[in-house]
Amino acid sequence: MTRILVIDDEPDMVSAIKLRLEANGYEVIAGKDGPEGLNKARMEKPDLIILDIMLPKLDGFKVCRMLKYDEKFKNIPVIMFSAKVQKRDIERGKEMGADAYITKPFKADELLAKMKELLGEKKSSAA
Amino acid sequence: MSDNNLLIRDIKNRFFWAILVRHAIVGIILVIFSLAVFLKMDVRAGLYFVAFVAVYNLLAHVIYLLKKNYELWQLLLLSAVFLVFDISAVTFLIYITGWIESPYWFLYLVLIVISGFGVYSYYSFSVFIIAVFSAVFYLGLLWAFYAGLLPVYRPDLKLTPQEMLVSISNKALFTTIAFFLFAATIYYFSKLLSEHRRELLNKNQELLSALQELKEIDRLKDEFVSTASHELRTPLSLIRENISLVEDGVVGEVSSRQKGRLASSRNSVDRLSKILDDLLDLSKIERRFFDVDLKRVDISRLAEKAIYFIKPKADEKKVQIEGKLRRGFVALVDPDKIFRVFIILLDNAIKYSYEKGRILVGIEDMGEWIRCYVSDTGIGIAEKDIPRIFRPFVRVENEVGGTGLGLSICRGIIELHGGKIQVESKLKEGSKFIFILPKGENNDTHSRN
Repeated sequence: MTRILVIDDEPDMVSAIKLRLEANGYEVIAGKDGPEGLNKARMEKPDLIILDIMLPKLDGFKVCRMLKYDEKFKNIPVIMFSAKVQKRDIERGKEMGADAYITKPFKADELLAKMKELLGEKKSSAA
Repeated sequence: MSDNNLLIRDIKNRFFWAILVRHAIVGIILVIFSLAVFLKMDVRAGLYFVAFVAVYNLLAHVIYLLKKNYELWQLLLLSAVFLVFDISAVTFLIYITGWIESPYWFLYLVLIVISGFGVYSYYSFSVFIIAVFSAVFYLGLLWAFYAGLLPVYRPDLKLTPQEMLVSISNKALFTTIAFFLFAATIYYFSKLLSEHRRELLNKNQELLSALQELKEIDRLKDEFVSTASHELRTPLSLIRENISLVEDGVVGEVSSRQKGRLASSRNSVDRLSKILDDLLDLSKIERRFFDVDLKRVDISRLAEKAIYFIKPKADEKKVQIEGKLRRGFVALVDPDKIFRVFIILLDNAIKYSYEKGRILVGIEDMGEWIRCYVSDTGIGIAEKDIPRIFRPFVRVENEVGGTGLGLSICRGIIELHGGKIQVESKLKEGSKFIFILPKGENNDTHSRN
């Protein structure tokens, strides 16, 4: 089953996303802050990461960059997921290597479509 | 404290002006003397006087330049010291130009005037002190003359001691009275003026601090808006996602009536986040933080795209949109932002149209400018409301919903581009929103892209 890592410090948000993703046939693991998310990404090797920006200890931009600089993990697609809607935040996300940027409040359909697209790309590039 | 700052700055300026005036006097006298030397006249005594003034004035200049921030008392003391120098200079001038016969005693009066309206104008009473100083110096000089303490510069003045005593007493009495009368007059006027000036200074200060306060409030407001919009977004997205989880049946069966309620809630949440976006944009526009990504684009394409985008909404209300568009209106703009302006204007036009109404979109060439308009046959705007509608959160009667921010954003975007937006409208007949945009550099009006 496709495994998704959700890194967000808001437990309610994690549980909502978890419900939605599980209903769509994904397996979900969660990390509640930057270091824990990074650890889980390295241990569990998820197929895709949904990453909030405003995280305790280590923010989402840094988590993203650390993953993308690592040969072993740089192929995992990262979706930045944030209430920061300013253009410069979105651009910064791109600079840090994020594959997509979705702003809160989000539409579930959009998120699912983006995930499908990124997971499809990953599969085709792996093949 | 800052009231004092203004006062200090003003007094410092006056001190500096006095220095400049002395420089000028020295210069002028030197020019006259060089002419006199040319005419073979003896000006040695005069040169002493000029040298004296030049030296102490240079000293004043150096002191002025030495330190940037003098205290009030230091400035007042310095002014006083150099005023005493001035009085000495005048006394010296009188000494070399003929003692009691010298015509220059009126210069004391000039000093009283200058100090009364100049450096010491904030302390009107000081003119009396200057009068006292002048009297002391002048009387001292006359006494020294009578007592024969100083060498006589005008040997041609030959009076008997009797005559001299009468002349000196007359002169002394007359000048002393003149000094004090003059000082009293100047005191009166200077007091009037200085009260006036103090009042002005205070008013100025009040205005300045009020302005500062306003700026601060404005900044806090903007900061508040952007923080609030960010902080509100997270819970809002949770509400939305939970509603739609239930609505989509992810957590159990939902009846169609329940679904209807949920959809309505979800729409409200969407509207709320739209308001947040608009607020954030507006605060960025007002802080001039709005990123503008300029490109050379054909405005008519943007208008076409906007019409195409908004058409379903117009069809719903059976409103017809007609575009009087041809290609070739290229300008240097941010395409997304101008597209947004068209969308907001069209959206408004549809909202305020009667059923089966008609909307006209047009673009015209105006030389350096491109003029665009969106007109409708809707309910129109009352004349009294027209000046207000571009302000944020202004809602006029007959409002059909909306955030009240759209037109402010339009104006912000157009003004960021250096353009202007305005409206012509008549109640029950319709409105016409017109905006002009500069084409930007290299006017390749006829290039087709």
